[in-house]
Amino acid sequence: MKKLAIYTLAAALLGSTLYAVSAAEKAAEPAQAAAPAEAAKEPPVCFESRKGASEVTQKEVKPGLPNVKCSPTTGAALWYGDPYDGTVPMGKMPGLEKLPAGHAVVKPRSEKLALMPMCGTACHNGVGPNANPPTLPKDKRAKPNPTMEAMVPDLANLQHGRGRIWCMDCHHTTKRNMLVDHFGDPISFDQPQLLCGKCHGDKLRDWRDGIHGKRIGEFTSTGKKRWFTCTECHNPHNVQDGARNRGFAQLQPEPPPQLPKGMKDAKHEKLHPIPH
Amino acid sequence: MTTKETPKACPAEEQPSVCTAPPASADPAASAPKTSRRDFLKAGGMLSMSTLMGTAALMTQSDDAHAAAEWAEHFQKNYRLMTDAEKAEARARLERRYSQEYGKQVTVDTTGPQPGVLMGYALNIRKCIGCRRCVHACVAENNQSRGTKPGEKIEWIQVLRMERGKFEQGKMDHGYPEGLGIQVGGNAYTPAGQVLEGQYHYTPEAVPEQDATYMPIACMQCEKPPCVKVCPVRTTYREADGPVVIDYNWCIGCRMCMGACPYWARRINLTSPVLPKEEMNPVTHYLGNRPRMRGVVEKCHWCLQRTRHGRYPACVEVCPVGARKFGNLLDPESEVSKILERKNVFRLKAELNTFPKFFYFYD
Ligand code: SF4
Ligand code: SF4
Repeated sequence: MKKLAIYTLAAALLGSTLYAVSAAEKAAEPAQAAAPAEAAKEPPVCFESRKGASEVTQKEVKPGLPNVKCSPTTGAALWYGDPYDGTVPMGKMPGLEKLPAGHAVVKPRSEKLALMPMCGTACHNGVGPNANPPTLPKDKRAKPNPTMEAMVPDLANLQHGRGRIWCMDCHHTTKRNMLVDHFGDPISFDQPQLLCGKCHGDKLRDWRDGIHGKRIGEFTSTGKKRWFTCTECHNPHNVQDGARNRGFAQLQPEPPPQLPKGMKDAKHEKLHPIPH
Repeated sequence: MTTKETPKACPAEEQPSVCTAPPASADPAASAPKTSRRDFLKAGGMLSMSTLMGTAALMTQSDDAHAAAEWAEHFQKNYRLMTDAEKAEARARLERRYSQEYGKQVTVDTTGPQPGVLMGYALNIRKCIGCRRCVHACVAENNQSRGTKPGEKIEWIQVLRMERGKFEQGKMDHGYPEGLGIQVGGNAYTPAGQVLEGQYHYTPEAVPEQDATYMPIACMQCEKPPCVKVCPVRTTYREADGPVVIDYNWCIGCRMCMGACPYWARRINLTSPVLPKEEMNPVTHYLGNRPRMRGVVEKCHWCLQRTRHGRYPACVEVCPVGARKFGNLLDPESEVSKILERKNVFRLKAELNTFPKFFYFYD
């Protein structure tokens, strides 16, 4: 009997201690739990047309409605709840005067280019070692330069224009955080179409009319749209993408459809009725 | 003759079969609490159609939105024959049911064709890289079934991979059967040009592949749709602004339309659709992406829930190369009109006289 009482007392004591401990833990929990949960719930970032170009961070625009859905397989943007997320007005574009103001928006690309703020200050500050403006090689061949080659590996053998253009045909000589037009005037990195249209005029016309390139938002001809500019789909430094020569970087495809019932693999698709 | 002009109202205590009053005008609020659902079901089993309809009218007032909607759906008209009031009623009923079923605020749009709009689609086949993003965007937008068992995964768009054949000097004299020097057909031995036996289940590391071309196919929204001609219950039809739609409630799942479609664009829900709550898209249209039931046929409808409000279809928005174009054919400034004006355009299986509003082009 006595033994039992002692056990009970011990159990009660233990219990109360445990309770006290757990209560203390509970009090500490919210603060602790909040930090890892936030770290774990890092919102997914999906790339839009190709890896290395525009990205979009997932967030909610309305309760239960995300601004974008990312593919679980490839990480590409698969669905837009808000097509105008993170965009700014495109600015003046010849031939688009009829569009209502603010109905053509683009995603600023310069924010994505991490090194760009330094280009025009740290290295190319407009004051060359020998002269002002800095001297340019007469043969228009890029000089071997480890910093630049780290960013653009094919610098000496640029796969654009089949060797007939060089850096300064597109980049401004003294304002390196700008592109350049035919008059030598600077163009923003957010409006690469003004640069690309210098040579690809037919493509620029088709892009302006909406039959080349991608745009999202409203389909009516005067609707509000987000325009994808040239560099969001094409990599200007390697536009031919090797032997394939189609202008697009290769991507990982999304998964294939379900196999027909009873089929284990898709070998049947490769069987031609006529052998060859 | 007063009884004929004003049908007498149905007293709650009376057996429903005795009443002549149309059930819609019966006051369910007065009668519902006095009779249990079981009694009504029993009565419904034994009695005439009007009784059933009376029961349905009462069922719509029940707390269980799902049961109420099912009952009411059994007695609703074909969507095209509904009055605006009936459409609004059907819409409210479905919104209640889906919201309860999927645990979020679901809207069922009933917006009709907009004046001056005829939708058209164009696809640049030289640009398509075969990445299948359009396929999966369509699934995310349109609430298709996405289970893993056979028949539970439904995709409306298919991307066909076609090999490229070659003409080769060394094969000039080759023939079939090999060694006999007898030529059957062409003399290049390898089928040259585009090899038309396509693959749907290709899985390379990266696309586009060097020796392949891709051809996405979905519903062509024909102007003379064979599926509409063959449907025995007239539940599939062409809307005034272009898309061919299905009133899912009236589809009997006979699959005549699937046999008639030359583009393999229709899919049937052989099993109950698998649609996880958190993945369900709550913005729906009655004729579009609202959740489907087992045993009905479904198809691409150019995202009616988006396009009726001016938005691009989901597949257009995700295509990474901008190969997909959508616009109003009646607007000369629209993207599709410009393509028809300037580019080399063809329609698939034009010889069948289906007159698709889906154009393939290249530049
Ligand atoms: S399956 Fe449905 S839509 Fe197709 S023909 Fe039969 S009833 Fe009509
Ligand atoms: S998303 Fe565009 S590029 Fe990719 S398969 Fe579809 S049409 Fe082709």
